[in-house]
Amino acid sequence: MNENGKNRREWVKTAAIIFLSVMLVLTFFSNTIMNYSLPEVATQYVQSGTITAKIRGTGTVESDDPYEVKVIQSRKVESVAVKVGDQVQKGDVLLYLADEESEELETARQELKAAEKELDSAWDGYYQGLLDANVTDSGVQAANGGVSMETYRQQLTQAQNAYKDAQNRVDEITEWKDAIGRQIDIDTNTDSSLGDETEAYEKAEEAFQAADSRKKQAEIALQAAQAKVSGLENNMQTVSDSDGDTSELNKQIQTAQAEVRNAENVLAEAEVELQRRTVARDEAKQTLENKRNKILGNLTSQSKYTENDLAAATEDANQKKKALDELTATLTGMFSLDGKKEAIDDAREKVEEAQEKVDKEVEKSIGATVTADIAGTVSEINIVAGNTTSADTPVMKLQPEGKGYTMSISVTNDQARRVSVGDRADLVNAWRYDDMEVTLAGIRPDPQDPGQKKLLTFNVSGSVVAGQTLNISVGQQSSNFDYIVPNSAIREDSNGKFILVVESKPTPLSTRYKAVRVDVEVIASDDTQSAINGAALYGGEFVITTSTQPVEPGQQVRLADN
Amino acid sequence: MKKRIVGISGAVSFVVFLMLFWAVRHVAAGIPEQQMAGRWSGEGEAAAQVSCFFSVNSGITSDRIEELEHSVDGALAEASVVQESENPGARLWADAYSASGTITMVSDRASLEADAVGIGGDFFLFHPLKLLSGSYFSGNDVMKDYCIIDEDAAWQLFGSSNVAGMYVYINGIPHMVAGVAERPRGRLEEGAGLDGPLVYVSYESLEQLGQNHGINCFEIVMPNPVTGFAEKFVRDNLGSDERETEVVENTSRYSFLPRLKLVSRFGLRSMNGRAIIYPYWENIARGYEDILALVTLFEMVFLLYAVGTASVLAVIWWRHKGWTVKEKALLLKDKAERFWERAREKRREHRQEKKAGKMLERSENKTGPQEGQGGNLL
Repeated sequence: MNENGKNRREWVKTAAIIFLSVMLVLTFFSNTIMNYSLPEVATQYVQSGTITAKIRGTGTVESDDPYEVKVIQSRKVESVAVKVGDQVQKGDVLLYLADEESEELETARQELKAAEKELDSAWDGYYQGLLDANVTDSGVQAANGGVSMETYRQQLTQAQNAYKDAQNRVDEITEWKDAIGRQIDIDTNTDSSLGDETEAYEKAEEAFQAADSRKKQAEIALQAAQAKVSGLENNMQTVSDSDGDTSELNKQIQTAQAEVRNAENVLAEAEVELQRRTVARDEAKQTLENKRNKILGNLTSQSKYTENDLAAATEDANQKKKALDELTATLTGMFSLDGKKEAIDDAREKVEEAQEKVDKEVEKSIGATVTADIAGTVSEINIVAGNTTSADTPVMKLQPEGKGYTMSISVTNDQARRVSVGDRADLVNAWRYDDMEVTLAGIRPDPQDPGQKKLLTFNVSGSVVAGQTLNISVGQQSSNFDYIVPNSAIREDSNGKFILVVESKPTPLSTRYKAVRVDVEVIASDDTQSAINGAALYGGEFVITTSTQPVEPGQQVRLADN
Repeated sequence: MKKRIVGISGAVSFVVFLMLFWAVRHVAAGIPEQQMAGRWSGEGEAAAQVSCFFSVNSGITSDRIEELEHSVDGALAEASVVQESENPGARLWADAYSASGTITMVSDRASLEADAVGIGGDFFLFHPLKLLSGSYFSGNDVMKDYCIIDEDAAWQLFGSSNVAGMYVYINGIPHMVAGVAERPRGRLEEGAGLDGPLVYVSYESLEQLGQNHGINCFEIVMPNPVTGFAEKFVRDNLGSDERETEVVENTSRYSFLPRLKLVSRFGLRSMNGRAIIYPYWENIARGYEDILALVTLFEMVFLLYAVGTASVLAVIWWRHKGWTVKEKALLLKDKAERFWERAREKRREHRQEKKAGKMLERSENKTGPQEGQGGNLL
């Protein structure tokens, strides 16, 4: 029993010691232990400051008054002479075009041909109408003093055939005349009918050349022989002066002299031959010339004849036409063929129109280059070599010298309310740009979405080129506010926006911090901060921005070390 | 001995049930995306968070959501829910919408193609990401060129996570980094789509500068005066085909009955006939739903075992109790009668005392003046 009692006492003692030790440890480390279970919060002061709400946007710089270069015809581009950014002076070549007629001109010509054809068929229809007219013979006779309808018809057919024949004759002669013209244009040297004469002349010329060359050789041989003689004679003189033996030399001189004589004979023969050949060549040439002149003369006279014939045939055709017209007029007076007449008038009008179009296109025809009308900088090129120009699309744009630039950005109505005309915009990454000024020049509804969006137009000046993309920010003047907190401090629930303020409460061991809710109203915001208003604010509070765990109002928190 | 074992096992089973019950509550409370209603409303006010997920072909636009927003106040007024807060900026409800897609961001030192969430409305009220620097932005902000990037994206683009206020370029358009968020990590999170850099931009930016399949999620938190009011309102006013839409009430999705319903739909849940791309938070929430459904099954088993053992013990005790109901009833009746008897006795005594008191008073009144007179005489 005693033993048991002792054991029990020991146990109670041990338990008490353990309990007290644990209590002691907990008392000392309670703060540390509690801190680990509390959310850690980062705080900032509520302070006064400025809020500047900025609108940012990205736009492309455009020329304020661009000059569009257009090619008014469809022409193929052979090469583009400039590049974007090039400075050009007035008159500088911008494009080289292929040297061919424009598609428009070709089309106009085709249209003219079609219109002429239509006019012809209208006339044919008219004549046919005259022939087919259903009129009583007696009526016609009564109206025309006894001339029968059949007579008229015969006359008309005759007149028509006569005119057609005359016209055919005109066409035939015209063709013939063109053929002669082409014949004259052809180089007569190549005419086949001059073959024999040309050959004879060429042979004579060849023989002449051979004789000439033989004569030249004979002359050279003579000169050589003469030189040899004079050389030997000099030797002879020297030998005789020294009283030497001259017999050998004499023999040599005689031989040489014989050579000279021989050469002289050869030369004389060559000269005779040359003379003969020259005469023969001149004769052959004369014959050729005569023949050629004869042919040309024939052609020219033929051409003249054909011209006369053409004039006569045209005159004849005109007379036939006149006769036909007169007869037609007479008949038209009798028959009602207004419809056919109108068709002819219409066709004639069409022909005139087509002719006018052709004339216009011819007038519009431009050379093989397109040049700059003004001095400026090439800001845009819309065509490459090999493509065909179009009258509607400008091939390039020029920025005239001394003109300004603009830039537009589309913003929401809400954003547009925050800016006003005259505001100066800042460039995002301003260090990239040199000496550039951007000013808001206009606010108007965006044509793409007039109800919801506005188009802000800026004037851009400085070192800028058209097509450059700029990122800008523009905003109202900064406003001062008494209470400003970081955006991350603003919280919201169904009771409105609020901030959590840290309140401290000193305890014997340490200071305790508690998150307290303060209802606020956000009156302005920018990218990072918000201006707030609240009945319970006095400035200088610690406001919670972030925390490691969600924080409830009234909850105890611990402050971050920094 | 057997009884004791049954008793102890039943008690243990009940304790396990309680632990599971507590664990489910804890897990559900730990998913902030599903707890918006709790954060939004004060104590005693009923609010509900409702999410809608749209298929790729639903054709939901920001304009359609704006129309829905316009009808909320009218519906609340009809249900006699009015704003009682004195704070002038207080709202009864808040909403957000989002689209998932990809976007390419370029900084001065790197380029990054990342998964993107294009947000509209007060998205970050519903999704309180943990920020490493900076602050949230809202789809209602004046400027639409803010973005929040996760730490991975920040590292790849800038080499630091303290980059709030810096600019990234999306298709040449500068966007300000409003904040850097911590990316949740874990098996479910990675499976849900959080396995690479993720950035949050405004819906306008994603629509114009990135690739997306249209708005795929709409969330609203609003007063819920009667159960199911908010969900019914959203369902009725969405104006989108039921087959293209899925409506979820987040506030009650982890409570016991919906979990039990989920267990009953075992096998059917995996079937899907709609082209809905769930955003990552819904994927995580569905993952937890599956896990909690399993836990619910265990909860049921343990509870049933505890109840069963308790019933068995009760029956055994009943059979061996050594008294009868009639005995006890007579005893009670006897006690009651005695009680009433005592009460009656007390009342009687009280009345008699009162009577005696009055008589004494009367006699005192009679003798009193005589004494006075006598006094005067003295």
